[in-house]
Amino acid sequence: MTVHEIPCILCPVSCQARVEKTAAGTILITNLECQRGEPYVRQELETPLRDVFTTISIIGADIPRLPVRTSQPVPKQEVMNCMRALAQLQVTAPVRIGTVIHQNLLDLVYLPFVSFF
Amino acid sequence: MVKNLDLAVIGSGAAGLAAAVAGATAGIKDVCIFEREAWLGGILPQCIHTGFGVQYFNENLTGPEYITRFTEEVHQLQIPYRLNTLVTHISPSKRITYVNSEEGVTHLQAKAIVLAMGCRERPRGAITIPGDRPAGILTAGTAQRLLDIDGYLPGRRIIILGSGDIGLIMARRFTMEGAIVQAVIEQLPYPGGLRRNIVQCLHDFNIPLLLNHTITAIHGLDRVEHIDIVQLDSQLNPIPNTQRTMACDTLVLSVGLIPENELSYDMQLQMSPSTRGPWINEQCETSKQGVYACGNVVHVNDLVDHVTQSGHIAGKVAAKYLHKETSPPLYHMQLIPNQNIRYLVPHRINYNTPFTLYLRVTHPLRQATITLGNQVIGYRQRVTPSELIPLSVDPTKIIKADSIVAAITGIPDLR
Repeated sequence: MTVHEIPCILCPVSCQARVEKTAAGTILITNLECQRGEPYVRQELETPLRDVFTTISIIGADIPRLPVRTSQPVPKQEVMNCMRALAQLQVTAPVRIGTVIHQNLLDLVYLPFVSFF
Repeated sequence: MVKNLDLAVIGSGAAGLAAAVAGATAGIKDVCIFEREAWLGGILPQCIHTGFGVQYFNENLTGPEYITRFTEEVHQLQIPYRLNTLVTHISPSKRITYVNSEEGVTHLQAKAIVLAMGCRERPRGAITIPGDRPAGILTAGTAQRLLDIDGYLPGRRIIILGSGDIGLIMARRFTMEGAIVQAVIEQLPYPGGLRRNIVQCLHDFNIPLLLNHTITAIHGLDRVEHIDIVQLDSQLNPIPNTQRTMACDTLVLSVGLIPENELSYDMQLQMSPSTRGPWINEQCETSKQGVYACGNVVHVNDLVDHVTQSGHIAGKVAAKYLHKETSPPLYHMQLIPNQNIRYLVPHRINYNTPFTLYLRVTHPLRQATITLGNQVIGYRQRVTPSELIPLSVDPTKIIKADSIVAAITGIPDLR
């Protein structure tokens, strides 16, 4: 049986989840104060997901950068690939908050990009 | 002839906009928000990361997304505001002096004022690091503005002093934009920022966090070239023979925030030494009638959601005052923190409506029980100074006294 800890980051309580893998292969997650933590910890064990946010170039606006984010978190190992792809983008003002700047970046079909500001 | 104004809101960040919206919604028409920047929103337009609004909206928003919800409300309610306008003075009789390029220096007589000026960063001069004075030393918030508003990456090999949230956020932003963050240096044995930022900003990018370390010297002729760091003992004294040198071209300081209270001093408000802002009661009332304070000008919050909530209270109570619906205080209870509490807000209780008490501990504790007078008001498995603790309080259950001890007791947490 192996035991390790994963900090839950969903809220400021910052529970330190205990993850136990039994000999039979089942994963037991304990030491969480609320129910939201367990799906997060399971996701961290399988495929950690992260929001991607940066700025892209914008022409004709009062400031030179437009903040953008992913509408969904992406797998952690794709974050820097997303950043490289986003560095190529440029838009022209005006851009309304919530406008989709780029659909399916990196052909991750579930990842439409939206902007705001 | 000085013009009158019903409600003046000083600052258009999360606190100011929530106050203005609450005041206007409660029927106050003659409002003005004063903002020294060229846009509404305070610091939030440059906080492009997610993590805002999880409590208030139950959604995970970026700073610009979060504050747009409130700027849109300001526009819908047609609340007047002045941009590029600096309030330079407020007299004890609520006479406001402001300056901008269109009106010059102008005076207004306000009936009610909401103070929502926020806080500012401690700079190098506040922590006295010896050494050279080259280019390449800047605060985390300035670096954030350069990167995310102006579009400049301020360095390539960066060291961050202080593990507060803005420093951690910037460690991630620099790394994502292609710079190398060599280390985050923290003098205390525990990080200053939220746990989620330690995980998502440092662990995710393998950025070393050097606890119990500080910088002893900065070296560089025109630009920062390297810094000396040293390990500290539990009393924060340097440990001999632990000094080493790290090369870098930029030093970013994330060494704390100070509520920005020049105007509060101008007005001769009574200040709290523990929060370094005006003392307030649970209705955001200050020592002066018709003057309310909310958000980071009262104390430095770590979640914007709490700032919005306090702004909302301030605006609502200011509207009640202007409608002459204010009821006199029922009690004068001053809250006295015990030695495990660095500070608490509000500082006093005057009414019997339930409210949220926020407190920050001096050091990490586990199995912490929080009491107010004779009442147990909360229990937490773990508390740290980086995380403000919100607690619901029902004043009707507390035995009344002029001063009431708020106490947190637990076991020191050496995790």
